[in-house]
Amino acid sequence: MSAYDEVEIEDMEWSDELGAYTYPCPCGDLFQITLADLRLGEEIARCPSCSLFLTVVYNEEDFADAKEPPQKVAPQPVAVA
Amino acid sequence: MEKAAAAAEEEHEETWAWTWGAGTDGQLGDGGFQDHHLPQPLLLNPHCRGRVSFVAGGGAHAIALTSDGEVFTWGRGTHGQLGHGNLENIPHPKSVKFFENSTITCVSTGWNHSGFATDSGQLFMCGDGSFGQLGTGDNQSRNLPFEVPFFTSKHVEKLALGMRHSLVLLKDNSVYGFGSARRGQVGKPASKNQKFYNIPRLIDGFPNCKILGLYANGDHSAALDESGQLYLWGRALVGERDDDQPRAAFPSLSICQVALGWHHALVLSGGELYTIGAYRHQKHNPTLSDNAVVQQLNLTTTSSTHHESSSISNLEKVPSIEGEQVAQIAAGTEHSALVTDSGALFTWGWGEHGQLGLGDSCDQVVPQRVNLGNRSSRSSASSLGVYCGSGFTVAVSLA
Repeated sequence: MSAYDEVEIEDMEWSDELGAYTYPCPCGDLFQITLADLRLGEEIARCPSCSLFLTVVYNEEDFADAKEPPQKVAPQPVAVA
Repeated sequence: MEKAAAAAEEEHEETWAWTWGAGTDGQLGDGGFQDHHLPQPLLLNPHCRGRVSFVAGGGAHAIALTSDGEVFTWGRGTHGQLGHGNLENIPHPKSVKFFENSTITCVSTGWNHSGFATDSGQLFMCGDGSFGQLGTGDNQSRNLPFEVPFFTSKHVEKLALGMRHSLVLLKDNSVYGFGSARRGQVGKPASKNQKFYNIPRLIDGFPNCKILGLYANGDHSAALDESGQLYLWGRALVGERDDDQPRAAFPSLSICQVALGWHHALVLSGGELYTIGAYRHQKHNPTLSDNAVVQQLNLTTTSSTHHESSSISNLEKVPSIEGEQVAQIAAGTEHSALVTDSGALFTWGWGEHGQLGLGDSCDQVVPQRVNLGNRSSRSSASSLGVYCGSGFTVAVSLA
């Protein structure tokens, strides 16, 4: 089986809750890859709900010593009355 | 005794709306949070029977619109996309109270955002705004419908939402886009570094034609004009080259319906159904059948700066179904559905979550008939509407 798609890390969103970069999976869930994975040079983001996976394109050096997500955390939803 | 009588009556009460497929966020609207491989009753209020005119399916949520302008939402609510003022997942259709004094005429769903147009031409949006896809001038998410200020003095007629972007058609025939701009889906970015637009911007490139419909899914955008000419822009359906301006596609076809997936599209023309692109999850591109006609058609454009190789696209004819005409089409991310003029429902494509409704999780390369159970002779004669979310499908008896 080949990768469902190829996505650049900058198109993924950081999720504090999941501790991972995420990207929409066609099943409705999210492809996920953790910082630890990225530090190890892993380039596959998996979906916990189905058999599909993504190839993640990134510069390994950007994550070699990364302790915090280098990108801005997505804004949280706010209530607007 | 009373309970048994009620159950018997319920059994007698015929199902008129069904859902199946991925269900872990409540997107099946059947009261639960699990996948189903066979059609389940969608728990829409009985007073909606015969009044549902459209259902929009998003990443894991849905909106049902009635002919008199009422809206119901259900499924994933984590970004406020259900518009109920909270972030809860709701496993059954719930009327959107915010609109109790409004008449909604058009709805659409993106991955985690929702849009509603009113009969007076106002546009309301809610859900994930992190890519500017709510068009509110910021990147905030909203859990109650919020009127997009840009359109207050304009008249919004139609809208179509993709994964992270939104398209709007005004009464004066102009098309606007906002949200993620990475693949050209909201038009030509002012600079290469521009990743999104959170204020609506005009999309040019529709020469002297009346636009009738807008379509969006994934990073794809499309419009259809009154002559049946299709325009495509955004991420390429075939090949690698994205288009940041609308491009007239398949000029030899007069297209009457369009449905977009994440890597494929369906178009209906003169009773014939064609697919563009291929289901991405499959290892090899499916060949529909021995008699499927593969055509290579030129895409025409007003700009001639594109490579020759990107201006060719595969258009594949779907074999006719038992001699019946196709009446309506729908596309999920990686699956497709159609209804024939006699009211029969067919699905094909990716089936891992049961989104084909065939009782298993198999993929199908040719349309397969879905059994909706004991529909009475009255309802099977009436027309059926089919709609797809990312990994789920909804069917509704329309009258």
